[in-house]
Amino acid sequence: MDQLIPAFGFGLITASILAIAAVGFTLQFSVTNILNLAYGDIMTACAFAAYLANHAGVNIWISLIVGALFGAVFSMLLNRFVYFGFVRRGTRLFGMIIVTIAVSLIIQNLLLAIFRPTFFSYTASQGPSYHVGSMVFTASQLAIMGIAVVAMVCVHLLLTQTQLGKAMRATATNPGLARSSGIATDQVIDAAWLVSGALCGIAGVALVLNTATFSETTGAAFLVPIIAAAVLGGIGQPYGAMLGALTIGIAGEVAAALISPSYKDVVAFVILIVVLLVRPQGILSEIAAAKEVAA
Amino acid sequence: MIDRLATSKLHASLAAGALLILAACGSNTPSATPKTYTGTLTFASFNPFTGPDASFGPEMAAGCIPAAKTINDAGGVLGHQVQCVAVDTRGDPADAVPAAQKMIATTQNLVGMNGPSSDEALATVPIIDRAHLPMFADSGQAAFDKSTYKYFYRLTPPDDAAGVAMAIYAYNKGYRRGAAVFGNDLSSQGNVPNLLSAFVKLGGQIVVNQTLTLDQSSYRTEVTALVAATPDVIFTEADPQTDAAYLSQLQQLHGMIPVVGTQPTVQPPWIKAVSGAIGRSTLSQNFAAAQPYSTSQGPAWEVYNTALLASGSAVPQPDQWSQDPYTETDYDAIIMMALAMLEAKTPDPSFYNAFIPKVVGNAAGATEVHSYKEGMDAIAAGKTINYVGAGGPVAFDQYQNSTGAFELIGYAANGSNPQLAVVSASDIAKLRQ
Repeated sequence: MDQLIPAFGFGLITASILAIAAVGFTLQFSVTNILNLAYGDIMTACAFAAYLANHAGVNIWISLIVGALFGAVFSMLLNRFVYFGFVRRGTRLFGMIIVTIAVSLIIQNLLLAIFRPTFFSYTASQGPSYHVGSMVFTASQLAIMGIAVVAMVCVHLLLTQTQLGKAMRATATNPGLARSSGIATDQVIDAAWLVSGALCGIAGVALVLNTATFSETTGAAFLVPIIAAAVLGGIGQPYGAMLGALTIGIAGEVAAALISPSYKDVVAFVILIVVLLVRPQGILSEIAAAKEVAA
Repeated sequence: MIDRLATSKLHASLAAGALLILAACGSNTPSATPKTYTGTLTFASFNPFTGPDASFGPEMAAGCIPAAKTINDAGGVLGHQVQCVAVDTRGDPADAVPAAQKMIATTQNLVGMNGPSSDEALATVPIIDRAHLPMFADSGQAAFDKSTYKYFYRLTPPDDAAGVAMAIYAYNKGYRRGAAVFGNDLSSQGNVPNLLSAFVKLGGQIVVNQTLTLDQSSYRTEVTALVAATPDVIFTEADPQTDAAYLSQLQQLHGMIPVVGTQPTVQPPWIKAVSGAIGRSTLSQNFAAAQPYSTSQGPAWEVYNTALLASGSAVPQPDQWSQDPYTETDYDAIIMMALAMLEAKTPDPSFYNAFIPKVVGNAAGATEVHSYKEGMDAIAAGKTINYVGAGGPVAFDQYQNSTGAFELIGYAANGSNPQLAVVSASDIAKLRQ
């Protein structure tokens, strides 16, 4: 029981990374209606972009920005030159899921071919440890949590206080009506891919800072909790994704402390199933229901 | 009426089943005369090349390729050149079963193989055995200690013997409070039962036994539980990313505790991942691993190592496998199969399989040979041979297992693996369940 509070603290670190990733993932879906299962692999590609910068002598936090920029540009180009072609041809949600799985495999194997099947680490210190009650955080973990908070606030401000954010929400709710109302939905979708791609990049680098080492499959292994967080919160609902990330992240660590590490994922997903049984649309979703009707 | 209907249905089902069994048996019954082969003969390296145990495959292929080179340099087998192909099982029975079926059905002139590993052995050994394909498994599963599969061979000790060797080493080093930290994959878990019982029998105490879900982003809660149990040694095997994350988080939260790992923890991907995460010097100060004992010297090893280093681009960084006992025995397996083909005068597996134990038989008057070329010349001269390979002498028991001692090796900051101790086969046997 005395491990419960430290476990809660560790859960916050996992939840921070998960929140950044899940918000990016769900933002893509809400604005573009594409459930991008290549998201985890794009995280890995971003981690590699940051790795190249880091090993060229760039500080890890600048490298994180490199990863975010790479993610933004890569995601936007991926949508423009791959996904959008299928959307234009009227490919339905399920068909698009298959396309994203194909992209996922292509990215993973390209990374394998380029970087070879081995493991990589950043040159970065975790910094000193700080005790907050019985919770322990390194400077690097505190930085990750800080980045998560800033990213969530920025997403909130973007969606609620800017014209672009309002246009994104309008496009998410009803793209046809948004277009009829004079919103340049194609540009809004580009912007959504840029923003979500940047979040994807930040999450990829933060994940690797946490795991200390990575390979071409690291991001893909993290995709299931990302989807779980997004679905738990209500797919397409950024605030729901934040809440879902907190729930999944903390539940896993607390379960590991109270029951057994073997049940870490099990407990998190039992919570997911129970919540979805009670509230099938997720904790906060309105958009998801609207999307289902549209599909 | 219902009973009659049911009975007639049962009879029909039994008849259909019997026909299917007969058909299946018929398709797998060896013919009375050996098959004729044209072209290059193929050996498969049937192992994970992707997935959590992706390091197993390259380690195995690094044994096959120099073996094929030495065979081809000596003129081939019965007029055939030989080649190696890699078959990826992904370390998962669900992928390995179709991979085995496809390999058997579509690989031209497939005459033998290395593998499978522990990850997929239980699912695929029966399939491969039914296809009459000699296999030299690197599976460490104790289930094969008394294997009755006619085409199954194993030149390396089972995983549970590795667990005993780790326990003996740790106890002899003065550690009394052990923590078992193993991944939840089949390969890792195979070590655990005998490790736990051996350490307790010796007088130690297992203070915590953790089964890790692989590739999580955080193991801090597990690490906190481990630290609270105050172990003085950690026994481990998990995939590189899992152990790297776990040990780096241990280092952050507490500081490193001595680690005793299994053979996969001395493979280059594990070393690279973990040393990248915790630093080379920390690793070299705190790390030991048990692996099958191999002298890595002598005439057979010289031939192996020369061929390995001459493999060119076929084996990336070949020197990393120079002293790897699994790669050495994978090499030996190919040489043994080729020599058995010479003895049988055919590459047909159904015929040469019976000769495999004979090429390593230590019969009176047998000529000891250390390479394919030496063996080929001796057989041509009508001599009985005893192949002593790169991995040392081979002595099959009645279950076609040849196991031996273990060595504990460290990790030096310069990348070498100094020997720390040797645990004899008899000491291991006393403590195995």
